[in-house]
Amino acid sequence: MQQHATIVETSFTRDADLRPVRRPRGRPIHRMLVSFSAAYFAGALVTDLVYWRMPDVMWERFSIWLITAGLIMAGLATVAYVIDLAARRRIDRPAWPRAIGYAIAVLLALTNAFVHSRDGYTAVVPTGLTLSTLVVIVLVLTALVARALTNRHRFGV
Amino acid sequence: MMYSLKNARSAKLPRLAALLVAVAGLGLAGCDDHAGDPKMQIGANPELPALQQYLMPPMRVAKVVGWGKETPTVPEGLQVHALATGFQHPRSLYILPNGDVLVVESNGPKAPIYRPKDIITGWVQSFAGAKAKDANRITLLRDTNGDGIPEMRTVLLDHLNSPFGVALIGHNLYVANTDAIVRYPYQDGQTSIDAAGTKLTDLPGGPIDHHWTKSLLASPDGSKLYVGVGSNSNVGENGIGAEYERAAIWEVDVASGAHRIFASGVRNPTGLQWEPETGKLWAIANERDEIGPDLVPDYLTSVKDGGFYGWPYSYYGQHLDPRIMPQRPDLVATAIAPDYSLSSHVAPLGLAMYTGTGLPANYRGGAFVGEHGSWNRTPLNGYKVVFVPFSGGKPSGPAQDVVTGFLDANNHARGRPVGLAVDKNGALLIADDVGNTVWRVSGSAPKPAS
Repeated sequence: MQQHATIVETSFTRDADLRPVRRPRGRPIHRMLVSFSAAYFAGALVTDLVYWRMPDVMWERFSIWLITAGLIMAGLATVAYVIDLAARRRIDRPAWPRAIGYAIAVLLALTNAFVHSRDGYTAVVPTGLTLSTLVVIVLVLTALVARALTNRHRFGV
Repeated sequence: MMYSLKNARSAKLPRLAALLVAVAGLGLAGCDDHAGDPKMQIGANPELPALQQYLMPPMRVAKVVGWGKETPTVPEGLQVHALATGFQHPRSLYILPNGDVLVVESNGPKAPIYRPKDIITGWVQSFAGAKAKDANRITLLRDTNGDGIPEMRTVLLDHLNSPFGVALIGHNLYVANTDAIVRYPYQDGQTSIDAAGTKLTDLPGGPIDHHWTKSLLASPDGSKLYVGVGSNSNVGENGIGAEYERAAIWEVDVASGAHRIFASGVRNPTGLQWEPETGKLWAIANERDEIGPDLVPDYLTSVKDGGFYGWPYSYYGQHLDPRIMPQRPDLVATAIAPDYSLSSHVAPLGLAMYTGTGLPANYRGGAFVGEHGSWNRTPLNGYKVVFVPFSGGKPSGPAQDVVTGFLDANNHARGRPVGLAVDKNGALLIADDVGNTVWRVSGSAPKPAS
């Protein structure tokens, strides 16, 4: 049953899209991991904002664990990206703007992890909070730009 | 074909990102500290540079190599030898009236993991010998003939809970575990105590218990015990609630176990001692980390009843620490600057006011300080025992190095000095919790005329 469905889909794609014969197989893993890391970084911004208004250490601890989890996910996403390339799975195009934007966000988040490892209030206010905000802005901009480019060129749909 | 070409191009990106991350990490770790000369921070008015905040705080622990056949170095007129070896993390010393030496072998409770940083810190500090097997017992050494070689070694008390301070009042031996003061009956000459202890009072213990060593000193009349209770954090990052009755010196009533805060705002007070000339209470303290190689200097100070010494809101009087929020300008206004800076990150953990006669006369009336040594500063600072001369009940000159050689030429640690005591013959005893030795410094025999 499933095999039948797959065959139908494949033939449909081929008919509709006159791209080269070699085509990606399967769903990419890295995309899900990238989404996870983005969600963690966004969560850290929320807990930072709460800490800024109400400096209870619990929120600062939430932030650093969220940032750490985001970085671990980013590391896994990088590994998965390489695997996806090797396995010739589908990569969202265009790849460059996404990869550059994501790399900038991750580097900022890494710096932020060090800032958040300071002791006390200055782990968050003002530098940590600023970096958390920047990470989210870069991720959102990257997603918007990538989507705009994708729609314009009808890449990778 | 075109597809795979595009693939190859975009595959470079993650690698580029990984490279950037690695370069950024190296850049952070390679920051120059610009540490100043510790000599500029000895005494009443230490130079205090502007505070700096790190991306990656320096962590530099001396690699442990042990003593081998080496011994510490002492100046002319003194000699040093190992009183006893083979301890498990000896932290503090206490001399009983009959001359028996108590060696408190102890290690801190396991630190909980609250942040990713705690994992890294624990890992780095394990290289400095801080995670040695802990005995948590008190060993008794008896040297009847006074030749500096004990004839007897027994375990006085075992299965304690991270003990540090010991004080004898009459026939009661008080032991400050990390979470309580416990009283044991003691008869003169006793070499092991089997009696179950009686709790005098609880002390602030776990679950965090960041500074776990509780130092102890009895008042001369035996009615009060003074307890050094260290803070539960570097600078309040575990929340101010975790600091309840901590970073303080307690006065405990021996009869009832009731206590009051004698002094507060002292980050980690240890080495409580009576200054012999004035009879005032003195202490040494470990100050805060992570705002620079020359901040904040650790200190030696008299402790005033009701005094507030700044932590965590300020240091050396009114120098504000921005890492604590909300701030307390009301408390900062009252903050007392300590009497004598020992320079930054030396980690003083032993104090002995010298009133004996076994050492040359110039040491009488002054203070020996055991400096455990820095773990977050380049170059290393501390790792020695210094002498601070006193006159009129106050420090009267720069600190002099007395016992050195705890670091070898490669800055590897042979040992690290902790608690100090003066034995019945006036020799200075030094607990070495990395060399697992108790060193004895005595006056050397007069040299034959040449």
